[in-house]
Amino acid sequence: MSLETTVPAAPSQQPPKLPPLKALVSRLAGNPLGGVIAALVIIFGASCALSPHFLTTFNMMIIARALAFIGLVTIGQSVLMILGELDLSVGAIGGLAGVVGGILMVQLGLNPWLSLGLCLLMGGGCGLLNGALITQLRLHSLVLTIGMAGVYGGANLVATKGVAITGVPRDITFLGRGLVMGVPVPFLVLLVCLAIVAFIMLRTPVGRYIYAIGSNPDAARMLGIRVNAIRMGAFALAGFLSALAGILMVARLGTAQPSIGDTWVLGPIAAAVIGGVATTGGIGSPIGAVLGAVIIGIIEDIIVLFGISPYWQSVVSGGIVVLAISFDALARRYLNRDAV
Amino acid sequence: MKTAFAFAAMLTAAPFLAPLAAGQAHAADNSAPLRFVLIPKTVHPWFDKANNGAQAAAAMISQATGRKVEIEYRAPQTADVSSQNDIIERAIATHPDGLILDLLDEKGNRATMDEAVDEKIPMTVFDSLPPEGMDITAVGADFCEQGTMAAERLANLVGKKGEVAIMMGVPTAPNHTLRAECEKKVFAKYPDMKVVATGVDNDSIETAQKQASAIMQAHPDLVGWVECDASGPVGVGQAIRESGKTGKVKEVGLDNLNDMIQLIKDGVAESSASSRPEMQGYWAVVSAWQRAMGQKTPKYIDTGIDLLTSKNL
Repeated sequence: MSLETTVPAAPSQQPPKLPPLKALVSRLAGNPLGGVIAALVIIFGASCALSPHFLTTFNMMIIARALAFIGLVTIGQSVLMILGELDLSVGAIGGLAGVVGGILMVQLGLNPWLSLGLCLLMGGGCGLLNGALITQLRLHSLVLTIGMAGVYGGANLVATKGVAITGVPRDITFLGRGLVMGVPVPFLVLLVCLAIVAFIMLRTPVGRYIYAIGSNPDAARMLGIRVNAIRMGAFALAGFLSALAGILMVARLGTAQPSIGDTWVLGPIAAAVIGGVATTGGIGSPIGAVLGAVIIGIIEDIIVLFGISPYWQSVVSGGIVVLAISFDALARRYLNRDAV
Repeated sequence: MKTAFAFAAMLTAAPFLAPLAAGQAHAADNSAPLRFVLIPKTVHPWFDKANNGAQAAAAMISQATGRKVEIEYRAPQTADVSSQNDIIERAIATHPDGLILDLLDEKGNRATMDEAVDEKIPMTVFDSLPPEGMDITAVGADFCEQGTMAAERLANLVGKKGEVAIMMGVPTAPNHTLRAECEKKVFAKYPDMKVVATGVDNDSIETAQKQASAIMQAHPDLVGWVECDASGPVGVGQAIRESGKTGKVKEVGLDNLNDMIQLIKDGVAESSASSRPEMQGYWAVVSAWQRAMGQKTPKYIDTGIDLLTSKNL
């Protein structure tokens, strides 16, 4: 007779039975993405209840398509943030890739798909340059990328003189405007990129190295991880994804606007933070960051659907973002209080 | 001024109010309110004035027809085409009776406007031109005429000689670019006049002020300024005042923001070639309402340009 069968389990070892609501909160709080998912569900539910125009096929398509551009930049920025870095030139890289694409396709008459490929390479190259300067000169990424944003933004103006390039070939406008079974193509591109990057981050040694470097770069170096190479690779990835967003936006607008990317700097950082990515590095995931971008996208949508005054829009959206960020912390505090 | 504006608006509205032709006294109409969404280029006082005109037109139509007309004002936070397209799409999702748009770039806005066509939502544009091939009424002033008026006024003020500068607005905005081109053409007519600098303010007063200060430092012989948007003249005027060149450097501004009017009153700017934002908002609503009623509307409604001086303010 085994000991297990003769000795009954101590009552104290049984997990306490929680009321259903508290159990749900407990499960969400136990999941790294619990806070952002809960906030998303609440905001989504409230939007459905408050606006008859929110839960329509057309509106969902709008949200999905708008999310695609900012979401791509958010993926790259979140990887950098997990690494303990920031790139404030991602918007400028996206804008530069867009106008260079326009120049190649329209002014130089290059094949649109070849132009697209070259722009993606250029975006990756810009990111790699950022990474190389940061690692080789041992500069702070925040400071360096502020300067590089000026360089890429200035190159954009030099190339365009501030004037949009029109006449983008219809071959590639499908990438920005098209639908596949009712789903916007840019959104599908976002999902594919997110799946690839999430796989790398969560299922490969490179991903583990990124978390290790973000947690403690010195310890990572002592373990033999090629810290600088991984940092440069992450910057290249962020540049590549920003360029992809820029090219998709050109395909969406049908013109290469010099202003593309102007609003892609702070939004992705806010989205990543809402999605649980720590600004200090080592914590979070691209999936959470994109969920944060979804929250921001819904807030921007409902602000317009509700007809909120343009002068109050920033106050309202900022307030909701603060509430969303606070939700996770409040839920954890609630559980911890009960545990004591 | 408000009374004069209301009177002028009512008077000029008369021929366009075809749906009111029955001339009956209108009892309250219990049908659902007519809802029009007005989307300007960005958050800016000029567009607030256009919105005031739009609200006046809505009140007039509501009173005249007995059916409530609502104007929803939804402005992008930045003058960015993709942001404006997002707002337009979200407005389409609410299925309004009409969209009233000030387009940032008719080509960049085209795909989104096609979605409104697909959803059978009538559109009217103001302060801008519609994309080619779209059957849309445009309400506005002749931008070239406005720039020409300002440049000619400045040329006469400085005796048709000397160095002058142009402050561009948003380089991608067709109306700003057109004004700049027409101003340059005027100065090119006079052999003793030379455009020595062109700033870009992106419709920001602060940027205009910084750029104007730098340009005046670099060109101490500058005798005058013209601009291409509503923010530029305010920033340039502030730079003239700060540099102590009031009276020495002449300015002929654009539009009728309160700051612009104050600059004229203070003697910093001599005058302003002003489009009429209230009129543009007003007539855009009248046109949108006519479209919603199934009436035909003209291709273009010219709301005219005022020359504001210290004598007629």
